[in-house]
Amino acid sequence: MQARVRFAGQLFAMTKLIALSSSLLLVAAALPGSALRAAEIAADHLSIELVVDTQTLVPGMTAWLGLRIRHEPHWHTYWINPGDSGLPTRVTWTLPPGFKAGEIVWPAPKRFAVDELANFGYDGDLLLPVPLDVPADATPGSTAHIAALAKWLVCHEECVPGKVSLTLDLPVGKLAEPAALAGQFVTARGAQPENGVWKADARLLGDQIEVRVRGADLGDGKGLDAFAEQPRIVANTVPKVSLRDGATMLLFAKSDYFTSAPGSFDLVLSRPRARAIRVRAVFVSPNPVSMHPVSPDRISSNAAPASPHNGGSP
Amino acid sequence: MKLSLTLAATLFATQAFAAATVGAPAPDFSLTDSNGKTQTLSQYTGKTVVLEWNNPGCPFVHKHYASGNIPKQQAAATADGVVWLTINSGAPGKQGHLDSAGAKAFVAQYHASPSAYLFDGNGKVGRLYGAKTTPHMYVIDGGGTLRYMGGIDSIPSTDEDDLAKATQYVPQALAELKAGKPVTVATSAPYGCGVKYGP
Repeated sequence: MQARVRFAGQLFAMTKLIALSSSLLLVAAALPGSALRAAEIAADHLSIELVVDTQTLVPGMTAWLGLRIRHEPHWHTYWINPGDSGLPTRVTWTLPPGFKAGEIVWPAPKRFAVDELANFGYDGDLLLPVPLDVPADATPGSTAHIAALAKWLVCHEECVPGKVSLTLDLPVGKLAEPAALAGQFVTARGAQPENGVWKADARLLGDQIEVRVRGADLGDGKGLDAFAEQPRIVANTVPKVSLRDGATMLLFAKSDYFTSAPGSFDLVLSRPRARAIRVRAVFVSPNPVSMHPVSPDRISSNAAPASPHNGGSP
Repeated sequence: MKLSLTLAATLFATQAFAAATVGAPAPDFSLTDSNGKTQTLSQYTGKTVVLEWNNPGCPFVHKHYASGNIPKQQAAATADGVVWLTINSGAPGKQGHLDSAGAKAFVAQYHASPSAYLFDGNGKVGRLYGAKTTPHMYVIDGGGTLRYMGGIDSIPSTDEDDLAKATQYVPQALAELKAGKPVTVATSAPYGCGVKYGP
């Protein structure tokens, strides 16, 4: 279903502000018989819809919901760390009792440079997957009403905020069947950074932060880019990459808003023609004798595992 | 401003930000305001000064003006003897760039009361301070030391509904400075639209 509803966003004119009292909230309710995707909403500079990877929610299993955002050419929305400006896309859920939605499992971002400002986000056709835990006592034959309130900021040079409520009515059943869009969820998983066994540690070197990554095949470092999930640690500019003793060294400028070194921070490393990887860089003292750093061997993955859902993957 | 910071930034960016540093002297500047008057930071020695980066076309700025949040902060601060300088670093032809009449109309529309509305069309002062977003806020004490830089408040959003729950960092810093206390939140992540610098 491709029903389009005009979304009344706020228009911010070049010099004159057209102040609308508040953004209009639209509700796109799925029509009977079109349960697997809510109506696509056309908003300012993008269209957005709520999709799911399965035709049936199976009790006790995890299904994947997704916010599908199609951007107008040259417009982008933001990653969990938006960079120098911007705002990450957010979604809040209203679910039947016992159902639980997780966090967005973010695909690796792209870098957008507007003059000297760096932003991290997405353009083109984007799917932001969110795991949905279906309770074991959900009743087969019943219908689960899923409601999402999505908020985003879409920018080219100028920015327009958007907010929309999206709903889906999904049948609860005993067997999962992949939905038409299941393939897109598979593609989305491939766009997520891979969590691996790589080791990374970080050191403060005056106004710079050096990160050493070991065990990852990052080639000669050409075309490598790095994105910190947590803001206020490293500057958002591209790090200087070099190879040293078999490890890849990333030299970042410190963020203007750095106050003190956290225990660790997470980096997404994007490589040309290969899947991005995610490493946790553990801060160690420049003089390791003087303190007891957290073991750099400990790389936990707090992102949801990129596991296929209940049998729906083709 | 530390020279070392300048060098580090130069290494990594084609057009480097030379960020101001909390606890260090705030860099002096000279800009023309909407009345055609020259405004310098150094002329306000002895007074607390707030710098606010502004772009009237930015939805984040809209949130804090249409809700009355920034105008209210301006009124309270200036009534208390604080100098509040609103700075527009939007380059000519970019969103939010204003002329004198446009700046006056903007101020009037929102019943705002900055001490002055300053133009920085070539972005020199914005870059000197490392201003990245609108709004982006700085508080300088009477001795010329930068005491706060960062966001307008603690909840990055364009939603007016979030204002009630957010900590407003500038009034907090001003109250603490007035009481002779340390500024508890001296930096925070600035949030908003990117400053529309020219090349």
